[in-house]
Amino acid sequence: MHDLAIRTEDLTKSFGEIRALAGLDLEVARGEIFGLVGPDGAGKTTTMRLLSGLLRPDAGRAEVAGLDVVERTEDVRRLLGYLPQTFAMLHELTVAENIEYFADLYCIPRGQFAQRSDELLSATGLTEFTGRRADALSGGMGQKLALICSLIHRPQVLLLDEPTRGVDPVSRRDLWRIVYGLPAEDVTVLISTPYADEAERCNRLGVLVDGILQTVGTPQDLVARQTSRPIELQATEQRLARNALEKLGGVETVAVVGQALRITVRRDGPGPEEVLKALDGAGVEATEAHWAQPRLADALLAIAERCGKDG
Amino acid sequence: MADAPRAAVVVEDLTKRFRDFVAVDHLSFTIAEGEVFGFLGPNGAGKSTTIRMLCGLLLPSEGRAQVAGLDVARETEALRRQIGYMPQLFSLYPDLTSVENLEFYAGLYGLRQPSLGTRIEELVVRLDLEAVRGQLTGTLSTGWRQRVALACAIIHEPPILFLDEPTSGVDPAVRQQFWNLIGDLAAEGTTVLVTTHLMEEAERCARLAMIDRGRLIALDTPQALRDGLQGLLYEIDADPLLPALEALASAPFVMDAALSGATVRVRVAEMGISREAAIRDALAAAQVNVVDIRAGEPSLEDVFISLVGDREEASAR
Amino acid sequence: MRRPATLRRMLAVARAEWRHNYRDARSLAIVIALPVFLLLIYGYGINLDLRDLPFAVQDLDRTEQSADFVNRLVRSGYFTLARAIQDTREIDSVIEVGAVRFVLVIPHGFGGDLASGRPAQVQVVLDGGDSATASVALGYLQALVGDHSIHLARRWAMRHGLPASAVEPALRVVPRVLYNPELRSVNFIVPGLIAVILTLLAALLTSGCIVREREGGSFEALAASPIAPIEIVLGKLLPYAVISFVDIVLCMVVGRLLFGVAPMGDKALLLGLSLIYLIASLSIGLLVSSLARSHQVATLIAFLATVLPSLLVSGFAFPVRSMPVALQAIAQIIPATHFLIIIRAIYLKGAGVSAFAPRVAALAAMALALVLLTVRTFRKRLE
Repeated sequence: MHDLAIRTEDLTKSFGEIRALAGLDLEVARGEIFGLVGPDGAGKTTTMRLLSGLLRPDAGRAEVAGLDVVERTEDVRRLLGYLPQTFAMLHELTVAENIEYFADLYCIPRGQFAQRSDELLSATGLTEFTGRRADALSGGMGQKLALICSLIHRPQVLLLDEPTRGVDPVSRRDLWRIVYGLPAEDVTVLISTPYADEAERCNRLGVLVDGILQTVGTPQDLVARQTSRPIELQATEQRLARNALEKLGGVETVAVVGQALRITVRRDGPGPEEVLKALDGAGVEATEAHWAQPRLADALLAIAERCGKDG
Repeated sequence: MADAPRAAVVVEDLTKRFRDFVAVDHLSFTIAEGEVFGFLGPNGAGKSTTIRMLCGLLLPSEGRAQVAGLDVARETEALRRQIGYMPQLFSLYPDLTSVENLEFYAGLYGLRQPSLGTRIEELVVRLDLEAVRGQLTGTLSTGWRQRVALACAIIHEPPILFLDEPTSGVDPAVRQQFWNLIGDLAAEGTTVLVTTHLMEEAERCARLAMIDRGRLIALDTPQALRDGLQGLLYEIDADPLLPALEALASAPFVMDAALSGATVRVRVAEMGISREAAIRDALAAAQVNVVDIRAGEPSLEDVFISLVGDREEASAR
Repeated sequence: MRRPATLRRMLAVARAEWRHNYRDARSLAIVIALPVFLLLIYGYGINLDLRDLPFAVQDLDRTEQSADFVNRLVRSGYFTLARAIQDTREIDSVIEVGAVRFVLVIPHGFGGDLASGRPAQVQVVLDGGDSATASVALGYLQALVGDHSIHLARRWAMRHGLPASAVEPALRVVPRVLYNPELRSVNFIVPGLIAVILTLLAALLTSGCIVREREGGSFEALAASPIAPIEIVLGKLLPYAVISFVDIVLCMVVGRLLFGVAPMGDKALLLGLSLIYLIASLSIGLLVSSLARSHQVATLIAFLATVLPSLLVSGFAFPVRSMPVALQAIAQIIPATHFLIIIRAIYLKGAGVSAFAPRVAALAAMALALVLLTVRTFRKRLE
């Protein structure tokens, strides 16, 4: 068996003028939960579609479990599970019928299928709803069903493209509980997410911006690599404070977190006291400025912002 | 709220039934002028249905609602001029450019030149749409599309704005911008009712209504909701992680256990004593190595889970 | 190992499609109600038989003979006397406003000529705007005139003590109508209609089934699974072949019960051959569906690609032989052309395979080619 579940080399794909993916070199180890994060249009979906053989690369190559995706597409598909971002079940079919449909597509022996199906249904809490039509499911339940369908054939590698988009926190927890259990079943997961708190749950992360892999590492690595430090403060006139802070030298990102303002400042940038002084000088009332614990969200925002400015 | 005592939205016993199914069940709340009011709830809890009734798109089965002093069931036409509504799937015309879409919606509200042109330019600047002004909206990414949609929803400067999951599928940087704009509009006096599934967004609301199966289950400021959470929170770094979660989830004194990042987060019943020893015992019994245990701060997600629970969504649509 | 897997995936697609159809009320209505509805509308609507056609008479003769002649026309049941005209100038106006379809002008001396055994003449002014009706009316009118003249000749002969055979015209045109002895147009129209309706239905049914999945979001996961294009294509064809086969039986039953039209030939043979035709038509819809960008576009293209040619070029309404050469060539590559010949031959002539073997071969070749083309062009990619 291969130790690398996914390996891409110089993977490139353009759509007309738009360069969706520019020379992606990615290695995902077997049994990993690897998160692909980055802004909209960064190339996450394109990567997944290239890996599942739905798109043909312009250049470079991709391997899944050691098999070339272009040359051995059908073999790759047999051991791949894929949950597309805009995936919908077959509307008129019930939960059970949808699962059966996918079991048939992957030719799961009947005996195995019943057991596997029961197992996944109870893990997602959908057992009671097997007779319900897919178009009568809520968003969260629909995504759980989609996840079951993508797992029914026990794939070695699972691609999940923003599986929790529009899903409420309760269903989100259920979905993640299943994802967490997958490495124990020897399933490698490549998951994309727009949410920092979900990115935190991955073993490793790749940050993709404008089709280029900016950085790879554990969530802790990404936080540690941050050159800027976060400061939190309170301001009565949030808008004025935001505008003033954005113009302040040494400030990298400005974000509102809850009712507080959270900024990241470069090493040579101002500290909490200087920030308050500067705001006071601009006639903006602000209080309680203090160094804050660095977070993954800061790091992701900073990377996206830096690249956005370059582009 | 104290300095904005006038009510922009008053909802009393609002109820909507679809045949046997009660989508909204005797909902009552008031939103003050200039307030950012958040709607939180599982998929299918009745949030969109409520908003549709407040926009005069659905007739209430029971109860009443006033928006900008107008009855939503009887004064629908006058109401429409007072509100902006951005549904989950906002209908932008994909074969029109961003500005053409804006012109279309401006036309719907009877805006004329020259004020129409000025207003559009104002929005282009404000929502940072310059880069996509001439692009067909069908070719825009979700984040851009949502920004154009918001611009269309506020083209007629409505005093009250309804936003139904406006940031679904939008990346964090754009979400920040989006919410900054919501904050600015509120600061200028616009009342905003917004639904979301993201706790970081819920934190930015002045007050939050949590809704489950059509009923109001909590209504307060984010701070008060967090303060009101029952039980104590602990964050545990353990190895291996999943057996730790399973051991704690099945421990009798644990009310709720979940993974948050690479740590296990548990909520335990408050008995006036530290539960750290009990947690260590439970993990030791499961042969899990404890790296660290620390007290955790309650989050809105904890509140949400504690109220809605790990129940299955039997009330789907 | 390969074969059972193929079969299973194909059946999975077929089963899902089948379930979609019986749960989607709209699809079900199209499948059952549409063919019967169309057959009723067109069966009754496109009736080329003449009945109660209004006409006017300008009787300048005003004799017993002229009244007798008009009476004969009216009694035939084909024509209704709408009005009598006094002034020649009225002729144009009554036709122009559509009050009558033709005007019969009986000249002075008509009665006198007849009475003296001389040939008499009448003038018919026809509304050529509806040329089909005009030519049919003229045909009926000529037949009646001929009939009447024989009748008059006999009477004249009898009155003059001559044997009737003495005045029998030496050359008499006796029209002999083949295959449709009553000249009932439904006998000709119903089999053609069944073919056209099946074409429409087949194209409508399959034109949505792949593009619908693309639009609905279920296609991507299907495409990313190990299923082969031929398995998808055959899986999608199977349920619709069954459905449209049921429809053809339904159409035949309705044709028999409501129009009294039943095949003179072998029904089993007809059903077997229509299955080949259905596969060709369904494949056209499927081909369109796999290439189209949206459901509406697919439906429109499928409609244009199947229904229009089968209505206009196939020989359903106009004989292929009277078309321009280019259209005749096109007609040969339309499955409907061949199926029309087959179904009419079986219905009207009771013919067997030997009568239209080349048509069967052409149809089978087209069905096979269309299935293969659909499989070849089927995109399991997203670009």
